Amino acid sequence: MAYRKVANLFPRGKEFAFSLWIPYFSKTRGVISQSVSLHGYAYSLYSKRTLHTTIPLLMKLLSVEELFAKRALQDHLRKMETEYSECLKAVSGSVTEEQCSEELRAKRTKVSLLSPLIQSITELGNKEKDMTETEMLLKDEDPGLRELAELERETCLQDIHDLRQKILDLLIPEEEEDLSDLILEVTAGVGGQEAMLFTAEVFDMYQGFAQHHGWTFDTLEHMTSEIGGLRHASVSISGFQSYKKMKFEAGVHRVQRVPKTEKQGRMHTSTMTVAVLPQPTEISFTINLKDLKIETKRASGAGGQHVNTTDSAVRIVHLPTGVVAECQQERSQLKNKEKAMKALRAKLYSMKLEEETSKRYNQRKVQVGTRGRSEKIRTYNFAQDRITDHRIGMTVHDVKSFLLGEDLLEKMNSSLQEFSNQETLMELLGEDSQHGS
Amino acid sequence: MMMQRRCLTMWRRSLSAGYRCFECRRGGPKGIWSSPAVRACSMPACPAGRITALEAIDLWKRCFEKRGVAEPEHSSQYIIAHLLGAKTIESVEQERLTEFLSQEQTEQVWKLCSKRLSSMPVQYVIEEWDFRDLTLKMRPPVFIPRPETEELVELVLADLQMKSGTQHTCLEVGCGSGAISLSLLKSVPQLKAFALDQSQEAVDLTTENMFRLGLQDRLQIHHIDVMKDAQSVLSLCSSVSALVSNPPYLFSEDMASLQPDIFRFEDHAALDGGTDGLNVIKQILTLAPQILSSEGRVYLEVDPRHPPLIRRWVEVNVEELQYVETRHDISGRPRFCILQKEKSNKDHELDLN
Repeated sequence: MAYRKVANLFPRGKEFAFSLWIPYFSKTRGVISQSVSLHGYAYSLYSKRTLHTTIPLLMKLLSVEELFAKRALQDHLRKMETEYSECLKAVSGSVTEEQCSEELRAKRTKVSLLSPLIQSITELGNKEKDMTETEMLLKDEDPGLRELAELERETCLQDIHDLRQKILDLLIPEEEEDLSDLILEVTAGVGGQEAMLFTAEVFDMYQGFAQHHGWTFDTLEHMTSEIGGLRHASVSISGFQSYKKMKFEAGVHRVQRVPKTEKQGRMHTSTMTVAVLPQPTEISFTINLKDLKIETKRASGAGGQHVNTTDSAVRIVHLPTGVVAECQQERSQLKNKEKAMKALRAKLYSMKLEEETSKRYNQRKVQVGTRGRSEKIRTYNFAQDRITDHRIGMTVHDVKSFLLGEDLLEKMNSSLQEFSNQETLMELLGEDSQHGS
Repeated sequence: MMMQRRCLTMWRRSLSAGYRCFECRRGGPKGIWSSPAVRACSMPACPAGRITALEAIDLWKRCFEKRGVAEPEHSSQYIIAHLLGAKTIESVEQERLTEFLSQEQTEQVWKLCSKRLSSMPVQYVIEEWDFRDLTLKMRPPVFIPRPETEELVELVLADLQMKSGTQHTCLEVGCGSGAISLSLLKSVPQLKAFALDQSQEAVDLTTENMFRLGLQDRLQIHHIDVMKDAQSVLSLCSSVSALVSNPPYLFSEDMASLQPDIFRFEDHAALDGGTDGLNVIKQILTLAPQILSSEGRVYLEVDPRHPPLIRRWVEVNVEELQYVETRHDISGRPRFCILQKEKSNKDHELDLN
């Protein structure tokens, strides 16, 4: 049974971190309804969630049962049910009225979005009714019947737990970018050669992580340093839930150890940065080809049959923004161009997302870090053989195994996901109570 | 902005610094390769001591530089990456680059790099190169496909994929290593193709590449010279929807100024297009109406000076062919000509019915 630790995020009232996120549902309603038609999800512009707990909160995870015991959650579910039945009435009622077709379409989308949730809520209601009946039987005089009822009760409890879990999962809105692939960028930070060595290790860790999940891992740029370190690299990763998981890895990673390069055995602290950019699909984000300047070795001179070269590197400049992407990983120039375009698209897309996000925060006059990229998120301490994630205060041991990118990293990553889900859920409920009061 | 700066500094990677560093650290074994005699570099002697891949890359890079071999760094990197079983040096794991090469590997490095020292193109030295998503065998003197031709294939593919559903046939004149035909066949599963070349070596190489890619069911390769034996071409194929060619298009006067890599190793018949570079192009355009199906198209890679000349010449000389458009290559040069056969009378009648 997946037992969750306990947390209480509510009593902190206005001070707790995610209250920053709450109040803009109403303000951006126009934007949101637009996104319904585009991406089919009402919450897609809700927020860029990458765990924003900068202050080490007394963050604890609530169990499913504890969450369901909250009045706010029950209220929220009831609200969803009401909303659903209203929309359903509207959709099945006025079919002939053409003028409000736009509104009707939005309602229809809402119905299909909510129906899995409503179905689960209904099922849960039925199960709970079953449960009451079974409990009656437990008081029966026939011992055989009581035994049966005991068995029945156990399966019932399990079913209820599963349904509740399912409902919680359905409540967490899917983010638009969660479905996309991504570009991973690793860059050495403070600490010279040692930082570059560590960057190479982190790069290998994510290669292992990708392999562990069966994702593709396609290197776009790879800049090595003299002694086997890595200055910078970027990789295109794709596969099921790749962005959804990798987004929690973005930020500053810190290493504390005695470097190979250190002669006097002193402990050093160095850093490297991980950036995770969602890779937009062709449809969701387009670049005007006229805005691009493409540079190759063949740009000067006659080209064609006049020249034979093995330098197939391609460099693309996006003129309006000055953003540059390049690739020399492939022997085919066309392949290099395709890969450079991929990197460029990701860079431009992430700039656009950042701009949108920051615009929203500015409107609300609240300061939030730029998607966690500049925040120190994790420390790898070799002397103590531990890895600590500062966002959730979680520590695991065995650095060597962790760097394989397998089960230990997965464990850390899933915890981050769970915390993030709970954060979102709390935002959702908190918002209800604000509206209600 | 930070991204931009990072990219600028990334544009060139330098291995030379790394080499020097290793040299200092090793200190001990003094192979012949590090002696001043070799630095002067006629042709470095095969080292008696052991050397790493990184050291070999740097040694040969500097040797190529001194001897004026084109693209010294890339040449040395590609050859050694190839011997380590990789396509690019970036895709070799960092540890393997700093490991010692085996005696056998070292000898191979010396053997292949010596070939490059004689200006033999890297593609011939390692006997393969990539074209789009294919890896093709390369062998002198068969013409080495250029990146522009990858774009030519892109143009043809865009058209073929637009009118998918029907069975198409295409003809390539001057197939060389088979790059164009094989790429088209690889990308369009229902396509069939004919490939012609006047050189037996080219026909053999295309055949070899075809078998390596398992495309033998859909490609027919013929040893025919379109200039001398037009009749064979016409009896072989008709009603072709696409006629594709990267014909020899250099002006004869430009031949002498070609880089030695090209001039000494590649088949001149695949490069020299006559006084105005149009010899083979004119022959292809003359035959095109008899080869193409109604509204079939010709796709040519040409010299940037050619498009207006070709347009004018076709207007005067080939009645049934219409000049559709000129397309530019990645560097913005007018590089590709697309022409189309007019809708035939027979089809007009059918339309009326």
